[in-house]
Amino acid sequence: MASYDYVEKAIKVSRREFLQVVGVAGAVLWTGAYVATDLVQDRTKYIKLRAKGIYQDDVKAKVRQSHNNVALNKMYQTFAQKPLSPLSEELFHTRYVDRTKLG
Amino acid sequence: MNNQGEQRVLKHRLSSRLFHWGLVLGFLPAAITGFIIWLKPGSEDFVNLAMRAHIASATLLTIAVIIYSITTMDRVVAFIRQISEWTQHDLKWMMVGGGYAHKIILKKEIPVPPMDKLNSGQKSMGIFMFHGGIFLLFSGWILYAFIMVVPKTFVYWIDFGHLWIGLFLGVCTFAHIGLGIYNWADFKAMFGDGTMTLVEATHHNPLWVEHKIEPTKKTTETIIAN
Repeated sequence: MASYDYVEKAIKVSRREFLQVVGVAGAVLWTGAYVATDLVQDRTKYIKLRAKGIYQDDVKAKVRQSHNNVALNKMYQTFAQKPLSPLSEELFHTRYVDRTKLG
Repeated sequence: MNNQGEQRVLKHRLSSRLFHWGLVLGFLPAAITGFIIWLKPGSEDFVNLAMRAHIASATLLTIAVIIYSITTMDRVVAFIRQISEWTQHDLKWMMVGGGYAHKIILKKEIPVPPMDKLNSGQKSMGIFMFHGGIFLLFSGWILYAFIMVVPKTFVYWIDFGHLWIGLFLGVCTFAHIGLGIYNWADFKAMFGDGTMTLVEATHHNPLWVEHKIEPTKKTTETIIAN
């Protein structure tokens, strides 16, 4: 147990100072929480709208298989040669990225 | 009551000392791992590990800041008051760097203006840490948790600020540690029982001793009894 003879006088926090600290902290946290939840809500909304649009397109589509898709076949004939060709691989295929690597 | 020459003053109370341990265990590892993430001195796995340690220490720092702010608001207010009050003394103190260069390099002491509980260098550090620290905490959590939902330009500038303000505060912290160890009595007080002798406190913080401390109840009773 520490032994001491003098101690700092108690700090008197005025009402104004209390309101300043709590007000600024509250405003920052509330704004931050509002913006964060707003962004997440917007993102979820856009993902749902996008999924809905894709399903609607699928329902309306007359051709639902890519190998029967005339436009796609034409694209391969005139441009990308054939599925899995080097150019198709380069342009259409994604690569695996390990998202657990944070650094 | 101790003898006249051995009288002690409680400079840092328990909550402030615990918070300083929070800074040691939270901010310091975050600063060191921040430098590692920036410089990438090792393998990808090493940098990945540094990032995990960076996040863990930032979490600890965030918890320490929240608990200290809620439970010890009077010290937070006192700290804000201290770093906001600049007088001619502070300007003169800064002009001579608190006399530390003279003491450390030339081994001689020069007169310096009297200081309160924080000297002007500590006040500067306080201003940087208070504002920069808040920015680092917020920007860090945005980069960790909300990077996929915030605009890319915003992320770019947040990341830019997080890096450079973090590097600046990291360098300031290493200087702070060096000077803290140099001021051994204050260092022992902060990481020990919180006390230092009245003589040492009067030497470093004469305005604080003169205006802002008072005898404990026990000391007052002893003085009255004698």
